[in-house]
Amino acid sequence: MIEQHHDGRGDLNQPEFEQVFLPHLDAAYNLARWLLRNDQDAEDAVQDAYLRAYKAFSRFRGGDGKAWLMTILRNVCYTMIKKSRSHETPEHFDEEIHQAAGQTDVREAFRQKANAETLQGALEKLPDEFREIIVLHDLEGLAYKQIAAAIGIPIGTVMSRLARARGRLRAEIVASNVKESSP
Amino acid sequence: MNHEEVSRLLGAYLDGELDLTTCMAVEEHVAGCERCQREMEAEHELIGIVRDETPRFEASPFLKTRIRAALRAESPPVHSFWRRFGWIAGGVAAAALLILTVYFEWNPGIPGLVRDAVADHVRSLQVSHLMDVASTDQHTVKPWFAGKLDYSPTVVDLAPSGYPLVGGRLDVLDNRNVAALIYQRRKHYINLFIWPSGGEALPGRAYVMNGYHVLGWTKSGMNYLAVSELNEQEFTDFTKMIQDKTD
Repeated sequence: MIEQHHDGRGDLNQPEFEQVFLPHLDAAYNLARWLLRNDQDAEDAVQDAYLRAYKAFSRFRGGDGKAWLMTILRNVCYTMIKKSRSHETPEHFDEEIHQAAGQTDVREAFRQKANAETLQGALEKLPDEFREIIVLHDLEGLAYKQIAAAIGIPIGTVMSRLARARGRLRAEIVASNVKESSP
Repeated sequence: MNHEEVSRLLGAYLDGELDLTTCMAVEEHVAGCERCQREMEAEHELIGIVRDETPRFEASPFLKTRIRAALRAESPPVHSFWRRFGWIAGGVAAAALLILTVYFEWNPGIPGLVRDAVADHVRSLQVSHLMDVASTDQHTVKPWFAGKLDYSPTVVDLAPSGYPLVGGRLDVLDNRNVAALIYQRRKHYINLFIWPSGGEALPGRAYVMNGYHVLGWTKSGMNYLAVSELNEQEFTDFTKMIQDKTD
């Protein structure tokens, strides 16, 4: 079972690497684009991640290539984010507010307008770790277990973080509707 | 299981991530709790909308080309794969080159310059050599050419008109180094080659070759040659805008 993707000499094998990882290119780009918010940075990050994955391919023991690639990619993305935001104050968010907004009385406001544009705006307002987990689960269809592996957190944390992320997203959608309907 | 516990598990329940025992405990509570039923319904609705309505960004086809080329550059020169199949691949590449050459040569009535420009354009898209400097900023692209060319091309940005500048490249045309500016229209690219005319003006003629549109012109002592697989209307719009904005 050891090094099942290799020819045994431990050298780089581009065709095999591409076969395992290129099918995840769209998923990788989608995550990078949502995290970095612009095409050029996302493309650079994805290319960088593929190169890093390639160089580390000998350490890949088969298994979940998608989660493995996502682990590398999000490290690249967060490094880029850290660099570009080092002089900005970190985004603050109030847990209390979105807890309150998650309750039932806001459901109608939520229903009024939950189209692509609203969703994009709302998702962009979320803190990175919330946006990331929604993209990985709801858009890319990764299971909790895969997300746990990609982010390096326990499955229980995946569950609670995703729940909070969704609550916050709901609050943002409602807030954008309230803002729009007020004169 | 109390209400708070169930409320916390609703998302995981809907995602199908709970084990059977926990699933049944959740269902048992929800069956008798109206508040949980409402919450479950709302959560279900949210998850569905997020999954179905959120825009998903797709990688450009050129990103794959770029990545494969970058991987190739990282590969050891003599590879086990190439050791085994290198001669076949080499033969295939040589045959392809021959076919390509014949293909381009057998187009009577099309000037060599136009053929070369189309070949440059095709190569720029295939070999992951679209850009040497990737920037949407004309003030980055223009200085990049300084020191690489003995002239300074006019770089205009057409992003507001829907043809953003995406980068620049050094290319060869007419046996000399020329500036190539790359513009993007949706998923298509336009190569705009610019070099001093040196007294030899380009006739303002349009060509179609193998599905590529080509238009050359000369303005203020500079030759311009635009190549793209864009449709004719958009290609014409693009060249008109470039002509209007260069001096």
